[in-house]
Amino acid sequence: MKKALWILLLVLVASGIALWRFYPSIGAPVVVVYVSHDQVFSEPILKDFQKETGINVRAVYDTEETKSAGTMNRLIAEKNNPQADVYWANEPIRAEVLRQRGIATPYVSPNAAGIPETFRDPNGYWTGFAARARVLIVHRDVNPKPTSVSSYTDPRWRGRTVIANPLFGTTTTQIAALFVLWGDERGRAFMRDLRDYGAKISPSNGDSADLVARGEFAFSLVDSDDVVNRVKQHQPVMMVYPDQDADGIGCFIVPNAVLLIADSPHPETGKKLIDYLLSKETERKLAFSDAAQIPLHPGVPMPPQLQPIESIKVMKMNYTEIAARLQAIQAFLKSWIGS
Amino acid sequence: MSMIEFRAVSKNYRGRRVIDTLSLKVEARERVVLFGPSGCGKSTVLHLIAGLVIPDSGDILINGQLVATARKNLHEPEQRGIGMVFQDLALWPHMTVAENIDFGLRARGIPGKERKQRVKDMVELVRLGDYLNAKPGALSGGQQQRVAIARTLALAPRIVLMDEPLSTLDDALNVQLRKEILRLHGDLGFTLVYVTHNRDEAKELGTRTIHLRQGRIDQASDAGCAA
Amino acid sequence: MEKRLTLAAAALLLAVIGLLPVLAMVASTFHVDGGLSVKAYQALLVSGKQQMLLMGHSVLLSLSVTFLATVAGVPLGVLLGKSDLPLRRGFVVLFTLPLLIPPYVIAVAWFSALGKGSWIVPALTPATAELLTSALFGLYGCIGVLFTAFMPIVMLLTIAYLGAVNPRLENAGRLVARWPAVLWRITLPLIAPAILFATVLVFLLTLGEVGVPTFLRYPVYPVETLTQFAAFYDFSAATAAAIPMLAVTLAILALEYRLLHNRALELRAATFGGVYTQIELGLWRLPLFGIILSLALVTVVLPLAVLFTQSSSLSAFVEAFSRASDSIVRSIAFAVIGATLLTLLGFFCGYLIHNRTLPLWRSVDVLGLFLFTLPGTIIGIGLISLWNTPMTNAIYSTPAIIILGYIAQYAVLPMRMTSAILERIPRSLEQAAELCGASWYMTLRQIVAPLARRGLITVWAVGYVFCLRDLGVSMVVYPPGSDTLPVRILTLMANGAPSLIAALCVILIVVTLLPLGVVGLWPRHGVRRS
Repeated sequence: MKKALWILLLVLVASGIALWRFYPSIGAPVVVVYVSHDQVFSEPILKDFQKETGINVRAVYDTEETKSAGTMNRLIAEKNNPQADVYWANEPIRAEVLRQRGIATPYVSPNAAGIPETFRDPNGYWTGFAARARVLIVHRDVNPKPTSVSSYTDPRWRGRTVIANPLFGTTTTQIAALFVLWGDERGRAFMRDLRDYGAKISPSNGDSADLVARGEFAFSLVDSDDVVNRVKQHQPVMMVYPDQDADGIGCFIVPNAVLLIADSPHPETGKKLIDYLLSKETERKLAFSDAAQIPLHPGVPMPPQLQPIESIKVMKMNYTEIAARLQAIQAFLKSWIGS
Repeated sequence: MSMIEFRAVSKNYRGRRVIDTLSLKVEARERVVLFGPSGCGKSTVLHLIAGLVIPDSGDILINGQLVATARKNLHEPEQRGIGMVFQDLALWPHMTVAENIDFGLRARGIPGKERKQRVKDMVELVRLGDYLNAKPGALSGGQQQRVAIARTLALAPRIVLMDEPLSTLDDALNVQLRKEILRLHGDLGFTLVYVTHNRDEAKELGTRTIHLRQGRIDQASDAGCAA
Repeated sequence: MEKRLTLAAAALLLAVIGLLPVLAMVASTFHVDGGLSVKAYQALLVSGKQQMLLMGHSVLLSLSVTFLATVAGVPLGVLLGKSDLPLRRGFVVLFTLPLLIPPYVIAVAWFSALGKGSWIVPALTPATAELLTSALFGLYGCIGVLFTAFMPIVMLLTIAYLGAVNPRLENAGRLVARWPAVLWRITLPLIAPAILFATVLVFLLTLGEVGVPTFLRYPVYPVETLTQFAAFYDFSAATAAAIPMLAVTLAILALEYRLLHNRALELRAATFGGVYTQIELGLWRLPLFGIILSLALVTVVLPLAVLFTQSSSLSAFVEAFSRASDSIVRSIAFAVIGATLLTLLGFFCGYLIHNRTLPLWRSVDVLGLFLFTLPGTIIGIGLISLWNTPMTNAIYSTPAIIILGYIAQYAVLPMRMTSAILERIPRSLEQAAELCGASWYMTLRQIVAPLARRGLITVWAVGYVFCLRDLGVSMVVYPPGSDTLPVRILTLMANGAPSLIAALCVILIVVTLLPLGVVGLWPRHGVRRS
C-alpha cells in the first residue's frame, strides 16, 4: 500500500509541475479571447500575436457551429462575470447580438482605417475584417452556369440543387439578409420555392461543397473558402460570384468581426489584440491560408483564386437590421425545416 | 449485580423479529452457552452484547452500567471491555500472527515494549510460539482458532464472546480446543458467553445453557460443569 | 461519531458538487428577463411536435444500441469469461478498447475507413462503398459506433458477475442438465440484475450522447433541441429543453431501482468469490473463435487500424504535438488529479452505500447514478450557472471547474466499484478491529485499505480513463487556454487535415491506455482467499 501511495504522490507532483510549466507565468500580461473562427486558422494568428508582443493568449474555441454551448452562449452566460476580453466572431451577426445584449463595449482601432464602413458598426462596437463571400459552387460540367441566388427557383435546376441548413451559420445570415432586402413576402416565397423545387438540405457548407464536387448536385450556395479549398484539391468545381450584373442584388459578404467585451478583465491587452487582428498583415495571412478570406483593407496581397473586395459588387447590407430580422424569422425557418 | 443483563430486549431485521423481548442475566466468571437451531438469534445476542448491533427496544447492562437502550448505543463497542471470537475468526489476512495480536494493543496506546511482551505471552498461552511471523493463510484451522483466541484475550477483556468458534473443526481438534478454552477461562477468569448448536460443546463448556427459539428463551438449564 | 461525520461530509460534498449545479440550472429556467416566468417552458411546448420527433429518434437510437449491446455482450461475456475459448484475455482487452476512448473518435475512425484515400474503399464495389458511406451518416452509423463503444459495458459486467456466482449452484444444475440449460435457467437469471443494470447504463449513455450523432448528422434530442434554442441565444430555453432529458433519465433510474432492489439481494446471496467452473466448448470452439474474431476485426481492429495508418506519417505526429502538446499535458494532469479526488470521494461514498451507515445512503447512490447519466453539457451548463460569480472566480476561471465537472459526472464509478470491493471484505474484519478499540480511521488505514488495495488501484485507473476521455463537461467549462485533448481534437476537426486528426486520436488512445498497462502489470500481492 505504501508503494502505491508513493507512486501516486510522485504522479501528482509531476502533474503539478507539468501544469505549472504549461501555464503562463503569474504576472505576465494576458489576453483572453473567445473565437468562433475555426481553430485551425485562427490559432496560428493568435500564436503569432503572442510571439510578437509577449502577451499570453488564452483562447476558447468553438467546436462546431451547431454546438449548443459554444463561445456565443458562454459569453452570454458569463455576462455578469466576464472572463473574455475579446470576441473574434466569424460573422458580424454574432457581434451584433452581443452588442444588443450589452456584452460589447465600443473600441475603434486605428487599424480599422481603410475598412469600408459597411463592414463596421457605426458606433464602434465591432469591426469587420478578412471576409468570406457567399458564392455559388458549380460543377464544371454544368452548362449554362447559374449566376444568381434566384437560380434556386429556376425550373431548369429543379431537384439538382443543395443548400446548407438555413438554421445555422452563414446560410441563415444570408437568408435574413435576403428578407431585409426583399421584404418578408418575397423572402417567404423564395423559401417556399426552394422547398418546392426540391433543394436538398445538407448539414453544412462543407457538405454542400462536397456533394457538388462529387457531381450529385449542380450547384450550391456556400462560402468562398469552401470553393477555394476544393479548387486547390483539383476537384471539378468553379466559383461564381452571384448577382453581379447591373440589376443584380450583389454578393453577400460575411466578414469576421472582432469586438471588445464590456467589463473585461484585461481591456488594454484586449485592445492590442484587436489592433493586431485588424492589421493588414493579419488579413494577408488569412487570405493565403486555407481559410482563403478576402481582405477588406485595400491593396493587401492575396492569392489568385480570390477577387479583391473592390471588384465585387457587394450586396447592400445593414447588419443591425439583418441581426434583428434573423431573430424574427427563426420560428418561420424552424417550421420550414420541419416541413 | 450481574456482569451482563438483558431487560426485554428486542431486535428486528428486515421486518422479522429476531430477538423477542429477551431478558437474561449472566454473572461474573460464569460460562453461559447459548444453544439453539439456526436462525434463532444466538449470534444476534452476541452482537448486541458487543454493541455491534443496536436493540430496537429494551436495555442492555454490562457490569451494572447501562450500555444500550432502545435504538441507541450508550457505550461504543470498544468501551465495553469485550472480546469476541467471530464465527469466521476475522483474522486479518495481510497481517502476521504477531501483528494480529498487536493491533488491539497498539490501538489502545500501550507502549511498544509492553506490547511486545504481551504478544509473546499470548502466543505462548495458546502454544503458537513458533508461528509469530506466519500469516493466517499458512496456518491450519486449529491454529487459526488459537490465534483468534489469543488476539481476543490480549486485551484482557472481562467478557469473552465466542460465536461457534469450533464449528469447522474435526472432532479431535474440537475436543482439544474445548479443553484449551476451559483452561484459559480457569487461568484468566473472564465471563464467557458461548454460542453453539453442538450438544457436546454445550455440555462441556457451559455452567449454564440457555436454549433459544425464535428469539426467545425456550429453556434454561444448568449443564454439568467440566472440570 | 467520526465515521458518521466523515460519511455525511462526503455525501454533502457530492451534493454540492453534483446536485447544486443541476438545481441552479433548473432554477435558472424559471428566471427569464429578470423575473419569474415559465416562458422557457412555453417555448418548449409550442415546438412540442418537433421535440417529440427528436425524442423519438433518441429513444430509437438508445433502444437499438441497448438491444444489440445486450444480445452481443452477454454471450460474449459468457464465452470470454467462462469458457475455454482461446485468447480470451486478448479479446476482452480488444473489445474493451472502444470503451476507453471518446465515442466520436470511433466515428472519426469509421469516417476515415470509408472516406477518400482509404484502402478499404477501392477494395469494394462502388455501389457497396456508396451504400456504406450513406449508411454511416445517419441512424445506422450511430448504432454501429455506439454499439462498439458501449457493448463492452455489458460484456464486462457479465464477466465480472459470472466469476462471482457460487459454483456449487451451477454444479447442482450440471448434475441434471447440460451447460446451455444451466446457463439459461440458473446462471443468467442469477446475474440478471447486473445485466439489467448494464443495459440501463447503455440506454442512458446512448440517450445523452452528443458527439457521435453530431458527427454522423443524425438528429437526436440532446443535440438538435439544445442547438435550435442556441440559435436564439436563449439560455433559459436551452436549459428548459434539457428538462425532458432529466425526466426520462429519472424515470429509467426509478424503474431500474424498482426492478433491481430485491433481485440485487438475491445476487448478493448467490455470489461467493470462489473459483468458477469453466465451460468446455468442444467442437464449437473453433467456429465460435472464428465468429468472435470476425466481430473484433470488423468493429474494433478495422477502424482503429485505419486511424493508425492514416496517422502513420511522422509529419502528422510532429504537427499533432506542435498543435496540441499543451493540451496533452493538461489532459493527463487533469485526469490524474480528477482520478485521485474521485477515488477519495468515491471511497467514502461507496463505503456509505456498502455499510448503510446513514439513512441517506440510497439517495447518494441514486444521485451518483443520475449525474453519470446526465449529458455532460447539462452538467457543464449547471456549473456555469452556479460558479460563474465574482466571489467564486477563483474556482470558475481555473482548471478546478473542470475537476468539479469530472467529480460530478463520474462519482458513481468509484462509488459503485468501492462498494463492490468492500462487499468482498468480510464485515467481521472491521468489527474485530472495532472491538479491539481501533478508531474508524485506523481501521480504514490498516485493515480495509490494504485489503482493498488492488481494487482501489483499479478504481483510480478507471477514474483516470473517464476523466481523460471526457468531452461533454470539459467542452462547456474549460477556462480559456485550458482545453483538453478531446476538446482540442473536436475543435481542430473543423477543417483540420484528416492525418492530423488521426494522429491526435492515436495520441489520445495511447495516453488513455498507459496507466491501464501499469495497473495490469502491477504485482499481485493479494491474499488468497480459501
